[in-house]
Amino acid sequence: MAIGIKKVDSNITLTLWERMYAPEIIRGLYITMRHFTVNLWGLALEALGRRDKRKIMTVYYPEETLTPPPAYRGRPVLVRAENGLEKCVACGLCEVACPPKCIKITGGERENGDRYPLTYELDGGRCIFCGFCEEVCPKDAIVMSAEWRELCEYGRARMVYQKEALLYPQRNLQKRINLIRSRYFGVSRYRGKA
Amino acid sequence: MSELIRPGYDFHKETHTEPMVINMGPSHPATHGTVRFFLTLDGEIIEQIEVEIGYLHRAFEKECENQFWNGVFPYTDRLDYTAAALNNVGYALAAEKLIGITVPERCQYLRVIAGELARLSGHYTNLGAAALELGALTAFIYFVEARELVWDLIESLCGARLTHNYVRIGGVTADLPEGFAEHAREVFRRNRELWDDFAKLLLKNRIFLDRMRATGGISRQDAIEWGFTGPCLRACGVPYDVRRAQPYLVYGQLDFDIPVGETGDNLDRFLVRLEEINQSIRILEQCLERIPPGPINVDNPEWRQPSKDDIHRDMESMIFHFKNTFEGQKIPAGEVYQAIEGANGELGFYLVSSGAGKPLKCRVRPPCFALTSAMPLMVKGAFLADLIPTFDMINLIGGECDR
Repeated sequence: MAIGIKKVDSNITLTLWERMYAPEIIRGLYITMRHFTVNLWGLALEALGRRDKRKIMTVYYPEETLTPPPAYRGRPVLVRAENGLEKCVACGLCEVACPPKCIKITGGERENGDRYPLTYELDGGRCIFCGFCEEVCPKDAIVMSAEWRELCEYGRARMVYQKEALLYPQRNLQKRINLIRSRYFGVSRYRGKA
Repeated sequence: MSELIRPGYDFHKETHTEPMVINMGPSHPATHGTVRFFLTLDGEIIEQIEVEIGYLHRAFEKECENQFWNGVFPYTDRLDYTAAALNNVGYALAAEKLIGITVPERCQYLRVIAGELARLSGHYTNLGAAALELGALTAFIYFVEARELVWDLIESLCGARLTHNYVRIGGVTADLPEGFAEHAREVFRRNRELWDDFAKLLLKNRIFLDRMRATGGISRQDAIEWGFTGPCLRACGVPYDVRRAQPYLVYGQLDFDIPVGETGDNLDRFLVRLEEINQSIRILEQCLERIPPGPINVDNPEWRQPSKDDIHRDMESMIFHFKNTFEGQKIPAGEVYQAIEGANGELGFYLVSSGAGKPLKCRVRPPCFALTSAMPLMVKGAFLADLIPTFDMINLIGGECDR
C-alpha cells in the first residue's frame, strides 16, 4: 500500500532573531505588502485598459460580470421552440422529480391533440437549482439557463414564475440543450427489465 | 482598612464573588454553525460548559424518507456544506453497496477528484476561519482566495459552487470539461503560493503559537474513547484514516501520506489539516494524470439515467424512464453501513431499504458530533479565550451536526 504516514512537526521553536519581534514584523509586512502591490498594479493595469493582465480576484459587479462555465446551473427556464410554442407536453416528470416540489403544472390539449401546459408555475423561492427537472425531461423542454443575476425579490410571492416569465427562445438555449444531450451517453439501452 | 482585618471577615462573602453564568452564542461570531455554549466562569476560567446544539436542525433524515433514492443527493449537499461532494460520494457508495454494483474506473477517479476538491475547500474554510478568529484577517483572505479558485474548478465540473449535486447512484452526472487538467494545475500552482504565504504569516507568529499550543488538548486514549475521527484523532498520533484503513474507490492505488501529530492540542490539529491540503493536491495531480478513458456510469439501465437520445428515439427506454422517475429506483431490501473519510473525520451513512423507491431510513454519522460532545472535557479548567481555537479546530458544521 502506497499510503504512508507523515509526522507533522509541531515543535516550532523561535530563534532569538525571530523572538526579537521587529524582524518578524518586517517579514510579515513584506508578505502582505507584496499582495497589496500586486492588487494595486492589477487595478492600475485595469485603468490602462489591459484587462487581460489583471491579477486581482475581485470583480466590480454591476459594471463587470462573470460568465459562468457551460455546466453551470442557473435559473430553470422553459424552451420555446422555433414555431413559437412551448416544447413542454405537461407529462409531469419534473413535478415528480423536483426534490422541494416547486413545480406545479396543469395540462391542456390543443385542437390537433397535442398536449401542452395550461399553466406552469415554478416557485423560485423554493427552487434549489439541483437540475433534476432538466435531467428527467424527455422533451428537452426545461433547462437550467446561465441566468444568475438579479433573481432576488422583496417578497416570496414575487418569486413565483408563471409560464410566460419562464419561456425562452430555443436558439438562446441551444448550447445547454446540446450539453445535456451529450450526458449519460455511450451505455446500453433498455434491456427488457422493468 | 480596620474593618477588613476584623476577626471573622470573609472576603468572598462580603464582596459577593460567585461564578458568573454567561451565554455564548447561538449568534456569536465565533460560534459559526449556530451553537450555544452555556458557560459558568470563575474569573476567566471555565468551570462548567454545556454545549447546546440543534439550532440548524432541518429534519434531514425524515426528509430523506420522502424523497426518491436519487432525490436525496441535493439534501446530502447541505450536510457538510463546506465539502459537499464528499457527502454525495458517501451516500452513493452506501446505496451502491446495498445494490451490489461497482462503478466504472473512470467514474471512481471522477469521484475522488470531486471529493478531494471538496476536502480542499473544507480545509481552506476551516483553517482560514480559525486564523480569522485569532485575529489574522489577512491569512483568512489568502485562503478564501484559494478556496475561490477551487470553487471555480468545482463549478466547471459539477455546475454549482456550493451545492454540487454531482454524484448519482451508479455514476456521476458529468465528465471532466475540456481543459480541466490545465486549469487545475494552474490553480494548484497559485494555491501552493498562497499556502506558503499563509504558513509564513502564522507558523512563526508568537501570538498565534501561544494561543494554539497546549490548548484544547486531549489524550490519545480519551480521543479514542470519545469516538474521535479525522484530523482531531490524527493530531493525537493515531494514524486512523478511512482511506487507509478501508480503502474505497481508487485510494488504494494512489500515493499519498496521512499526516499525524503527537500531542493532540490545537496546534497539532492545525498542522495536520494544513498538511492534508498538500496531500489532497498530490492526490488530485495523480488522479488527473492517471484517469483512464471510459464510461462514467454503470452499464445497467436500472441504475442509471438513460441518455436523452435514447429517450427521444427508443419507446422502451422512455417507458422505463417514466417508470423509474415516478416510482423511484427499487433498491433491494436490506441495510448497509458505509463510511468514507469526510473533511472532518469518518462520515458514515446507514441506509435501510424496504425494497421501495424511497429509503426507509437514512442515518448519518456526522464526524463533528462526537468531537463536539467532548468539548467539556477539552475546555474545562481552561481560559475562556482558549474556547475559541478549540472550537475552531473541532470544526463544527451545523448542517452536519444538527442535520
